[in-house]
Amino acid sequence: MNTTVRSGRPRRREGVWLRQAGTENAVVDPTKDSVHLLNDTALAIWHLCDGDTQPEEMVAAICEISALHPDVVTEDVTRILGEFDRAGILEWVDE
Amino acid sequence: MSVQDDQVRILLADEQSLFREAVRVVLESEPDLRVVAEARDGAQALAEAERLEPDVALVDAGLPNTDGLQATSEIRARVPGCRVLVLGTQEDDLLTLVGALESGATGYLTKECPLAELIDATRSVHRGETLVPPRMLGPLLSQLVHRRREQNEAVKLLEQLTRREKEVLALLADGAGNDRIAQELVISPETARTHIQNVLGKLGVHSRLEAAAFVVQNDVFDELIGARV
Repeated sequence: MNTTVRSGRPRRREGVWLRQAGTENAVVDPTKDSVHLLNDTALAIWHLCDGDTQPEEMVAAICEISALHPDVVTEDVTRILGEFDRAGILEWVDE
Repeated sequence: MSVQDDQVRILLADEQSLFREAVRVVLESEPDLRVVAEARDGAQALAEAERLEPDVALVDAGLPNTDGLQATSEIRARVPGCRVLVLGTQEDDLLTLVGALESGATGYLTKECPLAELIDATRSVHRGETLVPPRMLGPLLSQLVHRRREQNEAVKLLEQLTRREKEVLALLADGAGNDRIAQELVISPETARTHIQNVLGKLGVHSRLEAAAFVVQNDVFDELIGARV
C-alpha cells in the first residue's frame, strides 16, 4: 500500500511539553488539560517534530537503523503524525 | 559443561570479573542461553570470538586494550555470524551509541538496565533485531537526519567537480601527493597542482588534508570511484 506523507515540516506546538517518568512518556497539553501517552516509536517521532525535519527524512532515518520496508515505515510515520495532528499538539511549517 | 544445539552461545567481554561472573550466573539461569567464553579486554574478546565463533558477544564499550567499539568492528569483520550487543555506561551517551552501530553492533544497552532487560536484549540481538534504548531513539534519528543532509550537501558539491577533479580528489583522499597524482593521471605536476587548487576552491576547504577529511567524514568515496574507472 502506498501512503502519501503530508508535505511540510511538523513542529511541536508551543506550550505542550513531554513528561517522562520511569518507562512512561506523555505529552501534556495544559491549554486543553489533556495528556497523550506515547509509545517508543511515537516518542522518537515526537523528538523529530522540530519544525526542521520533513516526514520523508524521518522515514529514511528509521529505515537506516531498522530492517523495515520503507512503505511500512511511511505508513507508521504518517499514522503517528496524524494522531499528533488530531490531538492538536502539532503544527506544520510550510515548505 | 555442554552446549545444546538450540542454545544461544555467548561471549562476555568486560574488564570487571565481578560483573562478568554476575552476568554469567544470570544468563545461564535461562535454559536457552549459555556463556561459552569470557574476556577481560578487547584483544582477548577478539581472540575468543575467532576461536569459538559465538552467536552473540556482549561487549563493554570501555574495554582496555582495543576498546569495545574497535573490538566490535573487528569481531564483525572476522566473525560475521557473531552479533554484538554493546554495553555502555550512560543512557544519554549518544556518541557511544552511534559509534557502536557504526562499528557493526546490532544493539546498545546501558549497564543501568535491569538484568531481565539484558536477557531479553541478548535474545533480540540474536534474532537480528536492532536494539536502541527507547529514549535514545529520537536523538539517534535526529543525528542520522543531519548526517544524511550533510552527505547530500557533499554530493551536491561533488557534482560541481569535473571528472578529472574527482579523480584528483579520490587520490587526495588516498593520501597521494602532487607527484603521485601527476604520475597516476599522466599529467604534469603543475597541472596536478592546478586541479588540486580547483578542487579545494569548489569544496570550500583550505588544504589537502581538509579535502581528504571531507571525503571521509561525508562517506562519499564511492561517489568518486566512478571517475577513476
